[in-house]
Amino acid sequence: MSVLPFPSFLDDVKEKGLRKALFEGADEVMERLTAGMNIQDVREALRGENPSRRPNPRLTPHADGFWLHMRPSYFNVEMTGIYPTFRLGWLSTYFVFFETITGFILMFWYTPSPEIAYGDMLRMLNNVPFGQFVRDLHRLGAEAMVLIVFLHMLRTFYTGSYKKPRQFTWFTGVILLIVTGFLSFTGYLLPWDQLALWAVTIGASMAEATPLIGEQVNLIVRGGPEMGAAGLLRFYMAHVLLLPILLFVFTGVHYYKVIIHGHSLPPQSENIGEDTAKRVPLDKRVYFIPDVLTSEVMWFAVTTFILVMLCVWFYHAPLESHADPQVTPLGTTAPWYFLWIQGALKLGDKTFWGVIFPTILLGFLMIVPYIDLTPSRRFADRRFALSVSFVMLAMTVVTSYMGLPEFGVATAPDQEILNELTFEPAHNHVGLLRPVPFDQLVVGAYTTREFAAEEGDAAAAINAFGAELEETGQLRELTDHLTAAHLTLPALSFSSVPADAPRLRHVMEEFHRMIEAENIELLNGWGVVIITQNQQDLKRIDIIINWQDIVLEDGRPVLDSNGQPIPVVDDNGRPVRRTSSKHIFINENSAYFD
Amino acid sequence: MASASAAQSKATVAKGEQAAQTAEAAETTAVSLPSRREFLYYIWGASFALIAGEITAGVLWFAFPRFAEGEFGGTFTIDPTELPEAGGAPVSKPEGRFWLSRPVLDGQDTFVALYAVCTHLGCLPKWVDVNNRFECPCHGSKFQSSGLYIEGPAPRSMDRFRTTITFSDGTTVTSNDSGDPIPLEGRTIVSIQVDTGSRIRRAGKV
Repeated sequence: MSVLPFPSFLDDVKEKGLRKALFEGADEVMERLTAGMNIQDVREALRGENPSRRPNPRLTPHADGFWLHMRPSYFNVEMTGIYPTFRLGWLSTYFVFFETITGFILMFWYTPSPEIAYGDMLRMLNNVPFGQFVRDLHRLGAEAMVLIVFLHMLRTFYTGSYKKPRQFTWFTGVILLIVTGFLSFTGYLLPWDQLALWAVTIGASMAEATPLIGEQVNLIVRGGPEMGAAGLLRFYMAHVLLLPILLFVFTGVHYYKVIIHGHSLPPQSENIGEDTAKRVPLDKRVYFIPDVLTSEVMWFAVTTFILVMLCVWFYHAPLESHADPQVTPLGTTAPWYFLWIQGALKLGDKTFWGVIFPTILLGFLMIVPYIDLTPSRRFADRRFALSVSFVMLAMTVVTSYMGLPEFGVATAPDQEILNELTFEPAHNHVGLLRPVPFDQLVVGAYTTREFAAEEGDAAAAINAFGAELEETGQLRELTDHLTAAHLTLPALSFSSVPADAPRLRHVMEEFHRMIEAENIELLNGWGVVIITQNQQDLKRIDIIINWQDIVLEDGRPVLDSNGQPIPVVDDNGRPVRRTSSKHIFINENSAYFD
Repeated sequence: MASASAAQSKATVAKGEQAAQTAEAAETTAVSLPSRREFLYYIWGASFALIAGEITAGVLWFAFPRFAEGEFGGTFTIDPTELPEAGGAPVSKPEGRFWLSRPVLDGQDTFVALYAVCTHLGCLPKWVDVNNRFECPCHGSKFQSSGLYIEGPAPRSMDRFRTTITFSDGTTVTSNDSGDPIPLEGRTIVSIQVDTGSRIRRAGKV
């Protein structure tokens, strides 16, 4: 007779007593949750004992369970260490999930609209607990992921694991590489700062170089004639939906193929042309439960620990100033993994170098296993393939170097110096004036002439400077120039950099050195820094460079027979001088790391 | 009724098989002609392909940007007092995304409205006064004040907008189809119309 009108747990209690019924109930729950292992099976596995019943209960979760159905139930012991794969495939998958989770968390505080996005970034960095941390994790993870999947590809190439029967696995791998690259590219735009806007404008313009349909492709990608609200929304959709779907689908295909062929063994372990990966001898088997599973959990913890430590102490994702479609900053650069494209673009026609060249390169990568039909995976037998890969790696390094902003894009020295003093944070560097502490930006006017004098003569040099400007009328020109830049100064008198502003003094010395270094193009040049404050928490810094105009041709100075530059003189025979200036604002709460 | 149509379809199938066999007998290595069922499947598949193509075209049309007439709208009217001096540094009009430039070409005072976006990859070249030319900060393309290409990876000289100048004597001059700078010939300018909906691309580095 049942206790309740229907059979239930209470009948077991009545029959066997509460304790036994509870234990058997828990045992059954455990077996259902693990898809095949009861409590004793789990404890045996954790103790490192052999399974005590047949069939081996540690295989049932793989056979009956969803989560483990694709994971192999045993591995070859040779493939369980760091060598030969360096666990890079595992690490790549780790990053897929890591980025998905950190990205999902970031979605709580981000809206993909140009009017809101940047404000969201500031809020996330300043007002959201762990906001900066999660953002740093996501950004670091993205860069690490690109590096790791690239190294994974390299490793697979060097161990010849793309050869028969794994050609298609390699092919899906290249597709995953491309999807990873696009994920990185689309994510790059989302902060909507200057770095994001211009790096992506350049990249999207490459789409325009596609023959025939280029302009239409560019318009659809941007959703408008220039990168704006529509483009940001489309990039966001691609980044959070379209590309992750592709990533998951192809990761599934890729991993499935890896498992059904088995992890390819180190080349020395097999005879040439043989593939014995699936036939693992009994004495070489390491079972997933518990050994590989616990090992993976450990590696998961170690990797997460490393990423967290890096973000806490070393790495902080940059945020430059708000995107400005009307100003392209000097030194716009691609992220390091795209520098090779930027370098290639400097070589010539953008259709060839921006579209055709990368397409050929990626196409070549995809067909490598179909053109390399040699059976041996051993290094000694693959000298040609290895040499080709070294050449390609060297070319990547060279084009990446060429992609750096320092290479090939120099402008006039006055612009270079002004930029050097004021540029927004990029690649762990920032303009020299920006990290000077707010209280050391003492209001006043300072000149580089102070540092041209000998020790102790600074005050005299400054006075002489002031007098010189008055006599030659340059003082008037200077104040007019500043008025045109919306800075009206009732009087302008120069002073020495205060002794309690050592950082500012250091920057002024550097400014002086930079002008002196350009003694031909900035002939007899001087620099002035004027700091004003019209608002309690905001200071304005004007930087002015003034020099003697010389004869230039094609942007290069014309030298006379003595190798000296030729000064330009006006109708009265007096040397003409030129002025170049820039101003920035520094808020008391600005925090620039140098 | 049912048996009659069943017999009929059997006869059809039998006929089809016969036709297939005859065809097979005719050329031993040829693929047999499709049966009616097979053929209809192919037609059905083709209709799916057609629908897929139509949907794709529809999606692309859907995703195409909506233009409020060009990026910045239509025509900008420029007051002659905004112009730079002849041969002087060009003046920027950011709201229209163009530069007002007065290059002196072959001794002639001319005017041209240059599109501010570099013809290479979309950055905005700056006017560098010291070197008297436009220099693009991204990959180093350089252009003269007339928009003429000097050096760098850009594929052509700077684009320009179709411009109409009205002079004090009532005459008007419009840019020609190659977008050459308009000679001013000493006449007094009353107004300038720059049509940002009409962008002229140069044929090359000319």
